[in-house]
Amino acid sequence: MSEEYNDNKTVHAQSSETISGGTSGVAPDIDYVRPAEIPEQDLYHGHSFITKWVFCQDAKVIGVQYFLLATFTGIIGLILSWLMRLQLGFPGAAGFMTAEHYYQFVTMHGMIMVVYFLTALFLGGFGNYLIPLMVGARDMVFPYLNMVSFWMFFIAVLVLLSSFFVPGGPTGAGWTLYPPQTILEGTPGSGAGILLMCLSLILFVAGFTMGGLNYLITVLQARTRGMTLMRMPLTVWGIFTATVLAMLAFPALLVGALMMSLDKVLGTSFFMPTILKAGEVLEYGGGSPILFQHLFWFFGHPEVYIVALPAFGIISDLISVHSRKNIFGYRMMVWAIVGIGGLSFFVWAHHMYVSGMNPWFGFFFATTTLIIAVPTAMKVYNWILTLWRGNIRMNTVMLWCLGFIVTFVNGGITGIFLGNVSVDVPLSDTYFVIAHFHMVMGIAPLMVIMGAVYHWFPLVAGKFLDEKLGKWHFWLTFLGAYSIYFPMHYLGFIGVPRRYFEMYDSPYMTSAVGMNEFISLAAFLVGAAQFILIYNIIRALKVGKPAGHNPWQACSLEWLTPKVPPEHGNWGDRLPVVHRWAYDYSVPGAKEDFITQTTAPSEVVDTGVEKT
Amino acid sequence: MDETKKKEQATTHKIGIYLWIWGLLFVLSFFSYMVDWYNFQGMLRWSLILIFMFLKAGLIMAFFMHLFWERYALVNVLLWPMTAIACFIFLMVAEFEYTVFTRIFYFVTGG
Amino acid sequence: MSDPKIEGYVFKPGFSGMAKDTGSDQTMFKGVHWGKAMMWIFLLSDTFIFSCFLISYMKGRGSTLVDWPYPSEVFGLHVFGVDVPLLLIAIMTFVLITSSGTMALAVKYGYEKNRKMCGWLILATAIGGLTFVGMQAFEWSKLIHEGVRPWENPFGAPQFGSFFFMITGFHGTHVSIGVIFLFIYAYKTFAGHYDERKRGWFTTMKGDYVEIEILGLYWHFVDLVWVFIFAFFYLW
Repeated sequence: MSEEYNDNKTVHAQSSETISGGTSGVAPDIDYVRPAEIPEQDLYHGHSFITKWVFCQDAKVIGVQYFLLATFTGIIGLILSWLMRLQLGFPGAAGFMTAEHYYQFVTMHGMIMVVYFLTALFLGGFGNYLIPLMVGARDMVFPYLNMVSFWMFFIAVLVLLSSFFVPGGPTGAGWTLYPPQTILEGTPGSGAGILLMCLSLILFVAGFTMGGLNYLITVLQARTRGMTLMRMPLTVWGIFTATVLAMLAFPALLVGALMMSLDKVLGTSFFMPTILKAGEVLEYGGGSPILFQHLFWFFGHPEVYIVALPAFGIISDLISVHSRKNIFGYRMMVWAIVGIGGLSFFVWAHHMYVSGMNPWFGFFFATTTLIIAVPTAMKVYNWILTLWRGNIRMNTVMLWCLGFIVTFVNGGITGIFLGNVSVDVPLSDTYFVIAHFHMVMGIAPLMVIMGAVYHWFPLVAGKFLDEKLGKWHFWLTFLGAYSIYFPMHYLGFIGVPRRYFEMYDSPYMTSAVGMNEFISLAAFLVGAAQFILIYNIIRALKVGKPAGHNPWQACSLEWLTPKVPPEHGNWGDRLPVVHRWAYDYSVPGAKEDFITQTTAPSEVVDTGVEKT
Repeated sequence: MDETKKKEQATTHKIGIYLWIWGLLFVLSFFSYMVDWYNFQGMLRWSLILIFMFLKAGLIMAFFMHLFWERYALVNVLLWPMTAIACFIFLMVAEFEYTVFTRIFYFVTGG
Repeated sequence: MSDPKIEGYVFKPGFSGMAKDTGSDQTMFKGVHWGKAMMWIFLLSDTFIFSCFLISYMKGRGSTLVDWPYPSEVFGLHVFGVDVPLLLIAIMTFVLITSSGTMALAVKYGYEKNRKMCGWLILATAIGGLTFVGMQAFEWSKLIHEGVRPWENPFGAPQFGSFFFMITGFHGTHVSIGVIFLFIYAYKTFAGHYDERKRGWFTTMKGDYVEIEILGLYWHFVDLVWVFIFAFFYLW
């Protein structure tokens, strides 16, 4: 690597003379912002193709890399779900599909979608791209580590996908990987498959820790002048809190995966009780299967919020921008995010009501689960109150936002069913559960991702996505997703169990055969509709309408870079100085209906803008 | 921070405090070893082990890791997440007692 | 450590200071180097890893119906015709605390820009760590010789061997990584990288004696974990 840095290129940005971006020579007192505490960050600028686009240390490129790789794995997950639905709706239609394959597809679909798609996309993709821009930093604080983080993720994905090609195939134990079945013969992929899965998860956690440290320290220690925590856009709050959860929850997964690998490779009995197999006692004995469940869900429940919190944050920003209104109850929103994050460590065993754990736990965990619904509901009210009497732009982004709110409320309400022990016991392991978590952490975050793509694509690529295609994409996805998951609630009520390869002529299923086929058809349609987005992106890159500066008239910093798309270092010669929060829309008396975060107070003295 | 500020910031502590803490750690380790040596049992053993353990951990964190001198913003960020661990420990104690109960109930007494 | 001077910012003590720091712009941890903040958060995450290990150990030991081996005897040594309980472990604890003390002093001398003293103390710490790893290897080989395996052991519950090798192995890995970095940092100190503010190998940040403190945090953490392992695994 060549030793070239922008050493002290931008000294004047630190000096206290350049206090604001105001036009007059001497800035008035109301524009005063404390001088910089920390010196300018030295950046490594890549020169060759390799250092610029492959082993790149620019957080924006790393974000796009994360986005593309996560989307790629997500498409694999999507294809697996098609195959599952094909088998469920039309048993035997796919000749190669055996029960083993079905379970392997279930497992890989779940693991890919939750960890390698949603987590990587929200935190790695949006986090990397947006955090430095939104807090006014030049880059992440440890660019090299950030680059290594992506390549660890890359290796983790390779290891995961390689398990399709080993003898025995990938593990088929369900994405929760419960022992003892996971590593016993008879479960598909109990040999190399499960080991590769554990290895891949360990690599993912290691890589994610590197990225996560970057996100946290950038938010905590590298904000620009005037950017207080309570002026950050909610997107940053969501991603930040989710990263905190990830840093504290992934250790449990790491420990669980490590102990499971040892059980498999060395024959230890951490999770393995005494087992009789075909009349023979196995070598294992004395271990505790339920310990794995506790470790897994101590990770697994925060994981739900690792996916949900960035979605909450992003949706708040999108709704605010596209209804031209400040977000209702900003501080309440922040505290709700933090509160949900904190509480999420105390609710994990509501996934285990039927596991045979200590029966008293049901009381504790049902209570905490219902408590966590309170801040979540507050957020929903605030989104609706932000829309209330707003100047709503009915564009594609807003459609995704509205779709999200409806879907999230739907999934949230079924969550209250399942949080109560007495209701959960009959409903657990039925399609009701499938419908619940796909609504609340599958479709709802996906809607946010889509909205965010339509919203920020003009920033990343400098071109608009096509609105007409976008609306087709939305309506097909929205109506299609409801066609899939609404009937599933009913299937759950009549008792159809989840994770069954085939229902045969079971009495509860015969009455719903038509419905099951309909669900499969809808699933094919929704999956296919996602390729509209890919076509839209490729088309926009070629012939899209140029977006120019700040096309949505947004207030937050990411739209205020000197160049669009922003270049390495983000801010040109001088860092921005922030004077207000990111939500000054439709301020009475202002020239335009938005006041950017960098607008000095002296420029808007005659308006009704409030001090934030 | 430029060079001059850096120098002002680099206030260090007297060597005596480190030596004191160092000595105390040896003494406490010696005490916890003595718990085993004299073969204390029951509650006495466990409470002594825990007291010496937390004292040692506290000294290391407070003085060797400088947490005593750090600002509360950092200290609180580091210590509050431990409530999740405390909850996990508490619940797992309840859990292993229940597991032992079920094992004795079904395997030893035969249901 | 003590409050740095920051232009335009007045420090407050205690919880009101915490509120002010948290509500301020630019940084939340005032005057804390990026690398140091990162190390603290990493250690927090690592604490959760070790906590999960120890909680699993508690659950595993608590729920097995087979007798748990008596650690005092298993880890005892037979020297000069007497059985001394936990002798090796006591020496290991002694070595690790010694190295922790030398590390603390190295950080102090680093901040005083005393290059020679700092370097020698880091080297002493590294040698302490190396001794610890060596003794751990001896302890492992002794137990393996006596028939203890991750999947079984002659003294009682098979989980004893599993948890012992896993937890001490994971801790030993931390120590070994620390030793490698201690040697690297000793070299960098003696070579004057921190006095010259030379850039590191994989970073654009300029060298600074704060890096010694960051390394020190890691090393003290390793010691801290040992305190818990010593109490829960060997004494309990």
